[in-house]
Amino acid sequence: MIIGNTSTSWKFFSWFFALALISPIVVMLVGSLNNAGDLFSHLWATVLPEYIQNTLVLGVLVALLSFCFGVPAAVLISQTNIVMAKQLRWLLMLPLAMPAYLVAYLYTDLFDYAGPVQRLLRAWFNWQSPNDYYFFDIRTLGGAAIVISLVMFPYVYMLTRTAFEQQDRNLLRASRLLGCSERQSFYKIALPLARPAIAISLTLVIMETLADFATVQYFAVNTLTTAIYDTWLGYGDFGAANALASVLMLFILFVVVAEQRARAGQRHQSSRPNANQERKKLSLTQQIFGSIFCWFLVLAGFLLPLTLLIIMAIDYADYPQLIALIATGKNSLEIAIYSATIATLIALTLALFHRLHQSRSRMIPLQISGFGYAIPGTVLAMAMLATFGPLDHAINDVAKGVGFQAPGLILSGTVFAIIFAFVVRFSAIANGTINAGISQIPKSLDLAPGSLGVKTLPAIFRVHLPLLKSSILVAWLLVFVEAMKELPAVLLLRPFNFETLSTQIYQLISDERLEQGALGAILIVLFGLLPIIFLNRQKDS
Amino acid sequence: MQSLINIENLTVELQAKIILSNVDLSLEKGEILGLVGPSGCGKTTLLNTLAGFIAQNAGIIEIKPTNKAPIEISINNMLPAEQRNIGMIFQDYALFPHLTVNENICFGLSALAKTEQQNRCAELLTLLELSEFSQRFPHQLSGGQQQRVAIARALAPQPSLLLLDEPFSNIDARLRNELMIEIRQLLKRLGMTAIFVTHNKDEVFTFADKIAVMHQGQVLQVGSPASVCQQPNSWQVADFLQLGSWLPASLINNNNKLSVRTLIGELDEQSIKYQVLADLAKQESNNQLLIKPNNIERCQLKEYNVVIEHISVTEQGFHYLLRSIEQNSELSFSQLSYYSQELHTLGDALSVRLKADSFHLYAVENNHL
Repeated sequence: MIIGNTSTSWKFFSWFFALALISPIVVMLVGSLNNAGDLFSHLWATVLPEYIQNTLVLGVLVALLSFCFGVPAAVLISQTNIVMAKQLRWLLMLPLAMPAYLVAYLYTDLFDYAGPVQRLLRAWFNWQSPNDYYFFDIRTLGGAAIVISLVMFPYVYMLTRTAFEQQDRNLLRASRLLGCSERQSFYKIALPLARPAIAISLTLVIMETLADFATVQYFAVNTLTTAIYDTWLGYGDFGAANALASVLMLFILFVVVAEQRARAGQRHQSSRPNANQERKKLSLTQQIFGSIFCWFLVLAGFLLPLTLLIIMAIDYADYPQLIALIATGKNSLEIAIYSATIATLIALTLALFHRLHQSRSRMIPLQISGFGYAIPGTVLAMAMLATFGPLDHAINDVAKGVGFQAPGLILSGTVFAIIFAFVVRFSAIANGTINAGISQIPKSLDLAPGSLGVKTLPAIFRVHLPLLKSSILVAWLLVFVEAMKELPAVLLLRPFNFETLSTQIYQLISDERLEQGALGAILIVLFGLLPIIFLNRQKDS
Repeated sequence: MQSLINIENLTVELQAKIILSNVDLSLEKGEILGLVGPSGCGKTTLLNTLAGFIAQNAGIIEIKPTNKAPIEISINNMLPAEQRNIGMIFQDYALFPHLTVNENICFGLSALAKTEQQNRCAELLTLLELSEFSQRFPHQLSGGQQQRVAIARALAPQPSLLLLDEPFSNIDARLRNELMIEIRQLLKRLGMTAIFVTHNKDEVFTFADKIAVMHQGQVLQVGSPASVCQQPNSWQVADFLQLGSWLPASLINNNNKLSVRTLIGELDEQSIKYQVLADLAKQESNNQLLIKPNNIERCQLKEYNVVIEHISVTEQGFHYLLRSIEQNSELSFSQLSYYSQELHTLGDALSVRLKADSFHLYAVENNHL
């Protein structure tokens, strides 16, 4: 089916949305080439190499740890008869709902010199001072890597587990008949076949790590995101901040290209899904170690931080806190609902255009609009400011010119910029989900309405949209939750006296007063659980 | 000749359900056995049990290769798949998608020196006419080429026995026969003993030296295709192999003289296979005669006895499905096959009768036909 009479307008809107979403990035990159500012040269000569090094080391460490956590967990759940596999299967996804900066704060509180763990150890062993014993310092680059990995490894776990579960059982059987033991078959066949999934998940983890701001800021680890924030809000040098954001952008681009090139030679990999895998029977020792490993991840990445938050909430929750929570919660909800709705509508437009239009270039709008996911919130915020700041000035000049009162910063100084940034950043999630849903609809259903005399637009409403109902809901939910959690972009773009749950919690963490925001933190975690529960239930049904 | 594989009393239970029950089979070196039967009869389970993917609950599998030590697999001696020296060609070929043709074929040769691996691989590539594709990946090959790679890979470690799980089901119908003949010739040239599973009776007649018909986890009959066709030992065998159509019949015992009555004629004792009749002595209803197409002829009777319900054109003429005009008798029928060169039209009434011949009469379980 082609989008008959609606073709031109559909094409126009698809390209318009795609170009609108990408334009701030282009403006920022072009701007940074022309106006890096003197501070950038100074930073380059002094601290920038260290920031870049920290950023790279953090990315590599988090990738390494996420691999070490995620891949064995995926193997244990998908390939063995580990006890409580059914429960662990979804429990291992829960850490995704926990923002890394919350875990960072809670674990610092727990493991610091003044924290309960060290106090207990000192009491038990009668140690008097830090010189009497060694205890790791969590507020380091390594500590940041561990904390971020504890909440990021589910990306690796989920994608690798799915890859293992979708492998053709006969491939492993063939390998056994050709003389390989179970272990050899795993290393020679199962693991190489899962490599693309592992590579994608590690890229996601690295991208999220490079985008992280609050955790590294709290641990005083200087990376490119903290540098951008400090340069803009601390030194007020927009040009230098813009240039730093462009450097970070290039790093992300490098990671994405490297991942795609690494997988280029493996595009032939396809396998036939087979859910009825023969599971390896673990020995008692293997069961014990495997269970300890999986439960440690669930505990450290989710249950322990949540318990600490609940204890804090019980101890410190009061009425004024609840009132503040309602106000900030309302702001968060509003932004998240607008962002999710707009991103989902754009994704629907682009995905249907891609599916139903016959032009060769129909893929491009979809690809362009998904590019934003690779861009850290801090960078996006700079791009919004670089684009909407001058636009606002232009609007004000025009308004004054025609005799109206200047409207002020209606784009860069309102929630418009935040919502725009969220739509740019999370469109890829909505696109991916809706596109996956569309690909499940047989192509013949595109053609059938035409043969029954039904035009394109009514056909979309009567055939495609009902079939995409669940994908639309999932896409909306995923964007909604990401928007509820997103911090760096809001920090840089929020209007004066405008707080969301995440900025309020970040502020309280910075002031070492999370106790007063524990309820809000729990709320963010609970919102984060929504898509996991929904997706899990959907899969079960 | 000495048997290469002996299967005795093989029983497999999965999820508290008996899938294979006391299966006995033996196969001589170089023989090709075709396992046939309806879906769910246990064919693939038998193959998977032989390969070592499913553990048997009882019985013995004995493999006696000519140049290697014999192996005996029982519940006390469960050999893992990799130690059985059995090759397998899967229905979907199970080619490793991340390895080239060359690497796929060499996969099972890791115990050999590199040069020896390459020599054997080159030999198989030539034998299967795959030399020009050695550096390609499986997805770059056609279905037929993929199957050749699967065969080469399975043959590379020189297995004692080759198992083939519905190997021709993914091949285009036009190429299938050609490929079956080619692969059969190759296996014969190599003296390879093979067991292959199919649910297609035409495949088994083209490919196998011997066929085993399975039903509900049991082997009903084993023998050469010709002998099984001529002497099916049960209605299930005759029905699965579609050796004819079924005509309801009643057995009449008149002063110890047995005869069979149908709506298109009567048969005396001499026309019926005695062995089958003996089984029927206790049961005088629910009997069916196996009617081959050439068993029916047109005749001139006062009254018509059948109506044409369906017509299809075949290479030899026309195939008619006949319905008895009498519809209220327990001997009524609705799908009796009749072949003729004459052209009739749908709904024509005819008179037909059974030709003098020997017939098989079966007691059929209720509602199974």
